[in-house]
Amino acid sequence: MASSSPTDSVPGDAVIPLRDPEARARLYEVARVGAPLLLAKDRLLPVPGPLGALVPELRRGMVVAVTGVPGGGATTLAFGLVAAASAAGEWAGALCPDHTLGALAASAAGVDLTRFAVVRDVPLDRWAVVAAALLDAITVVLVEVPRGVRAADARRLVSRARERGAVLVTLGEWPAAAALRIHAEGGEWNGFRMGDGILTSRNLSVRVEGSGAPLHGLVSLAS
Amino acid sequence: METARTLCLWCPDWPVVAARRRGDAPDDAPIAVLERSRVFACSAEARAQDVVIGMRRREAETLAPGITVLEVDLSGDTRMFEPVARAVEDLAPRLVLERPGMLSFPTRGPSRYFGGDEKLVERIIEVARVAGVPDARAGIADGIFAARLAARRGVIVVPGETSEFLAPWPVGTLGDEELGSLLCRLGLSTLGAFAALPVPSVLARFGSHGLGMYRLSRGEDEHPPSLTVPPPDLVETCELDPPAERVDEAAFAAKVLADRLLGRLEAMGLACTHVVVEAETEHGEHLARGWRHEGALTAAMLAERVRWQLDGWLTDGLRDRATARGGLTGGLTLLRLVPEQVIPATGRQLGFWGGDAAGADRCARVLARVQGIIGPENVVTAVPQGGRTPGERVRWVPWGEPREPLRPIEAVVGPVHSEVPSWPGGVPGPPPARVFDPPVPATLLDVTGAEVSVSGRGEVSAPPALLRSAVLVGGGGEITGWAGPWAHDVRWWDRRTRSRCTYWQVAVGEMACLVKVKQGQAAIEAIYD
Repeated sequence: MASSSPTDSVPGDAVIPLRDPEARARLYEVARVGAPLLLAKDRLLPVPGPLGALVPELRRGMVVAVTGVPGGGATTLAFGLVAAASAAGEWAGALCPDHTLGALAASAAGVDLTRFAVVRDVPLDRWAVVAAALLDAITVVLVEVPRGVRAADARRLVSRARERGAVLVTLGEWPAAAALRIHAEGGEWNGFRMGDGILTSRNLSVRVEGSGAPLHGLVSLAS
Repeated sequence: METARTLCLWCPDWPVVAARRRGDAPDDAPIAVLERSRVFACSAEARAQDVVIGMRRREAETLAPGITVLEVDLSGDTRMFEPVARAVEDLAPRLVLERPGMLSFPTRGPSRYFGGDEKLVERIIEVARVAGVPDARAGIADGIFAARLAARRGVIVVPGETSEFLAPWPVGTLGDEELGSLLCRLGLSTLGAFAALPVPSVLARFGSHGLGMYRLSRGEDEHPPSLTVPPPDLVETCELDPPAERVDEAAFAAKVLADRLLGRLEAMGLACTHVVVEAETEHGEHLARGWRHEGALTAAMLAERVRWQLDGWLTDGLRDRATARGGLTGGLTLLRLVPEQVIPATGRQLGFWGGDAAGADRCARVLARVQGIIGPENVVTAVPQGGRTPGERVRWVPWGEPREPLRPIEAVVGPVHSEVPSWPGGVPGPPPARVFDPPVPATLLDVTGAEVSVSGRGEVSAPPALLRSAVLVGGGGEITGWAGPWAHDVRWWDRRTRSRCTYWQVAVGEMACLVKVKQGQAAIEAIYD
């Protein structure tokens, strides 16, 4: 074989050769009987790591809006949510117009980099199309909301996520509905003073607004 | 059934010739064309300086100083080869491209028409010369494998004597490194020695793949003549409305078509070794060109070949509509893939339970679609690699390309085990969540309002007290904590890439960032967000 790309090794839908229709039919029957029922908990993705104490799981089809000032810890929280897909062995993706996401930080938060695709340099007029395409097949999609996104586009993405059973995590001001809103309120950095020590850890103050009362908590992030 | 007599036309060093014609490379200087930093093809001048195929880039540059190094561009090579293929097609319609620079066709009709094999070879070489390939070589033998070797020598093998012709060639010519090296170790260094083994032993020892190679070495076809003629409904057709005038539009349709065709073949337990790409234009022109691959074509490989072919037709034809000879004069309205030769698929073993194969497959398709929307280089995955700064420690690889780091994470362990980490001077602590490339300009001031500088010996002029930058909230402010500096003197042995700078971890209130100071200029490289 000549050069092979990763897509070469992706097997197709047809796992059983069609040569023996009878054996095939029997196998399908076994698969049908043996297949587990789809329970409500199968629609949940547990959130690993320290963030799991505050947000125990993500429900497929939901939208989570993460906000915070630069340096306030919002990106790290978003990575923590994306890690839910990696923990379930599924794909995650990110739409990052300015391409500043730190892959090592994502990896430290539990994101599997071999199943984490980043789409960069997306012009504003293609932004909604690309986000919708990603929601088609990727379990957790992190989108950075650029300035000037139309509310109608945002609403369309919300319904697309619900329809496809994908989790949409938005970073920045989100002009549409969200099942969960997480606000990073910053926190002191530990480990260094003026001119001595190194940056080690941070206690991040987080506010979670869901269906019930707002939840406050501290998330401890260590290196 | 007899092995079909085949003529093979070979243009030596085609990637080099094509690069010279495109004007990418000088005419009389050594040239190496690289694929994944190994030499894929080289010019005669480079060969004279001992550059060989498969060599690393650095070795080639050491052997031939001043060598021109190019990346392989198979799509461009196909485009340059298209006029040659068209010229030969006038004489022999059942032409098949093996790869850019090599084509073959069965000689049965043309040979009789032109009055024998010698006349045909003369004619073909003449046609290639007129099309601009002065050093083309052609050979005729039974079967494509033998024809390819015959073309290398430029000989015509007498019918029925192909196995004698093949016998002295080394087993390496089979193109299977693993099997070749195994056969050599077993003492079977020539095709003749391999061909002398009894069939059952070959099958028992080397499996079905080995049997295919064995058949080649005996001058037969690799796959025994199959009775499975592809049923006509396997043809995949796609109408393009509006007509596609750009390659990427047509190539996108071709990719979908290739996926569909291979999916259906796979469901029938078949693999495809020879496919014909057909296209029709809005002016009713009809074009067809066959492509062959010794192994079985995968969807990605098939789509790649269709893309090369479309590139050749569209770019060539539409450039000058008036004078295009045999090219296209309008956009494509119809695209068709016809599997010409199919074999039973014995190929890959899939995971027993399939795993999340379906999910990964769907994901691959969507990412390819996004690449079609915003360009292939903008859909990336991250590969951790060796380096000192957060930016250096990640390589972003476009989706579909091999995920290989440029620098090893662990340095190679030398004969003496040392306690020094692989990348000394790396910035410690948690990795930052936002990395700016290029860094955002900033100013780092001390209490007196002067810019903080670091001397050549790594001495700090004064502790930093104030950081200002556009990316910080409120434009920055007083520094509440800092660590560093980490002095980097990177690649001091190379004047062009040498870089001296220092890194600081700086906190302004609750915001922490990584500041780089280079030649007195501060910049924010990353934010711990």
